[in-house]
Amino acid sequence: MNTHLFVNEMRLQCYEMRQYWFETLSGLIFITGVFLGLFYGIKSFVLEQGDGQSLDGLLFGYLLWTFAAGAYGSITKSVVEDTQKGYLEQLFLCPNGFISLMLYRSLSDSIVGLVFLTVIAYVVMAITGNWLTINFGYFYGILLLAAPSLVGFGLMISGLALLFKRVETVGAMLTLALMGLVALDGLPLNAFTFLPFVSGASLAGDVVLDQNALRLDYVLIVIANSLVYLTGGIYMFKAFEKQAKKRNLIGQY
Amino acid sequence: MLAVKELSKSYAAEPALSNVSFSLNRGEVVALLGANGSGKTTTVQSICRLIEWDQGEIFIDNIDTRTSTSFLKQIGAVLGGCRNTNWRLTAKQNADYFARLRGFSGSSIRKNIEKLHTALGLDEHAKKEVMKLSTGNKQKAALLCALSYSPDFVLLDEPTLGLDFNTVNDLQRIIKDRVEVAEQGFLVTSHDLGFIDKICDRVVVLDHGKLLFEGSLDTLKARLFKYELTIELKQPIELSILNNLWAGRFDLQLDQQTIKVNYGSPEQSLVMLHYLHEHNIQPLQLQIDSLSMEKAYQTLVQQKDVK
Repeated sequence: MNTHLFVNEMRLQCYEMRQYWFETLSGLIFITGVFLGLFYGIKSFVLEQGDGQSLDGLLFGYLLWTFAAGAYGSITKSVVEDTQKGYLEQLFLCPNGFISLMLYRSLSDSIVGLVFLTVIAYVVMAITGNWLTINFGYFYGILLLAAPSLVGFGLMISGLALLFKRVETVGAMLTLALMGLVALDGLPLNAFTFLPFVSGASLAGDVVLDQNALRLDYVLIVIANSLVYLTGGIYMFKAFEKQAKKRNLIGQY
Repeated sequence: MLAVKELSKSYAAEPALSNVSFSLNRGEVVALLGANGSGKTTTVQSICRLIEWDQGEIFIDNIDTRTSTSFLKQIGAVLGGCRNTNWRLTAKQNADYFARLRGFSGSSIRKNIEKLHTALGLDEHAKKEVMKLSTGNKQKAALLCALSYSPDFVLLDEPTLGLDFNTVNDLQRIIKDRVEVAEQGFLVTSHDLGFIDKICDRVVVLDHGKLLFEGSLDTLKARLFKYELTIELKQPIELSILNNLWAGRFDLQLDQQTIKVNYGSPEQSLVMLHYLHEHNIQPLQLQIDSLSMEKAYQTLVQQKDVK
């Protein structure tokens, strides 16, 4: 653990959130507003069918998606925005390596994301009156175990961004596709288990929402899924980085 | 010492650098000169490991930069354009971030940043994010970041771009100060030969990716043509006769009735003038110009055999 890099990235987050407090606040309001729209849009339909569980699932799924989109988008956003706005080359001059820096950036993003998630969760539950009993300890733990799979996935897309630059459309589509991923059931082992984050989202639902006991074999599946996608992401990013350096594309836009 | 050894790089079989070698010591300022597309930026980016080169090696204190990234702690770089800072942060926040990124923090770094911030005239913009600064001040913010942790070697790619006259003078003063006090080595690419003239100890000239010249600035100046004689005649004159009239180093161009000669010392033109007088050749136009440093440098690039 390189605390120096981690602290530096946390400080960067703080600088940006403080200086762009309106952006931070409006982002929170937007995410909450979108959820409320969804919630009230389907509430009457669901209640007619007497399926209160679906509203809980919707709320929980939305929280998962918010986190997943943040974890996946952290590195991709850095590569795409920093290529356009300016200092990607300087980030490649990090003595610990660019990937290492991005992993710490992603970790700090995820931690800040979890704080926001908690705020959004309580705001949404208070507004909708749909109170869930969430064990945040388990919730955070499982999300952090599952997040590396999305980070790996983000590295793959970021590698493409180094070469092809304009990958925003692909990125936006994948962010939407994450909605599907958090809704799929990846446990017990089935074909969906092999998709990124699915097993983590399923385990979180199983333990936090349905209040079932944490199963070690499921935890191992989540860890394996994270390791495979993270390793694959790092490998692919390195391959794309090498190509980008051969063609002098780092930072070119 | 930073040593570039026989560096070669091609893009789609088009050579960008061919066997380029030079070195940079601590406490020394070396200028990397060349026209657009000569390979200056490719060289700087290779040193930073931002591109993969084809052949050759780059060493920093005998460490092969291909085998380790730890050398990046010793490197500070201002890359071309305004692409060096996080536009959402202030100059000082950027400097702090990039120093920490290289593993440097603490009171001495903070003091250094404060001192440089003032020296670069950024104090009055202390609260502005970089995106709100002018081009020149963005460049200063980039310099602040590159110098904040006192790296052993600083690479400045076109540092005077967008800077006004006063700021260029400030930059010269800061570089001289850093060289003398902190013994930092600077590799500077620039089109501003006046700037280079005032701060550099040695010059490396690239042309189409090849090393054209490496040596002291005085040696380079001695190689430059300082004068240009332009004569327009009624009748064409034979090239062989003209060649015989010019002794020493010169470059002669004949375009129908117009003769253009670049040469080094004033007395070289006397024989030509004497010949015209002796043969009663009346020139339509006769002009002798003293070449500026920029213009003289261009004549050097045309010579190509000065190494």
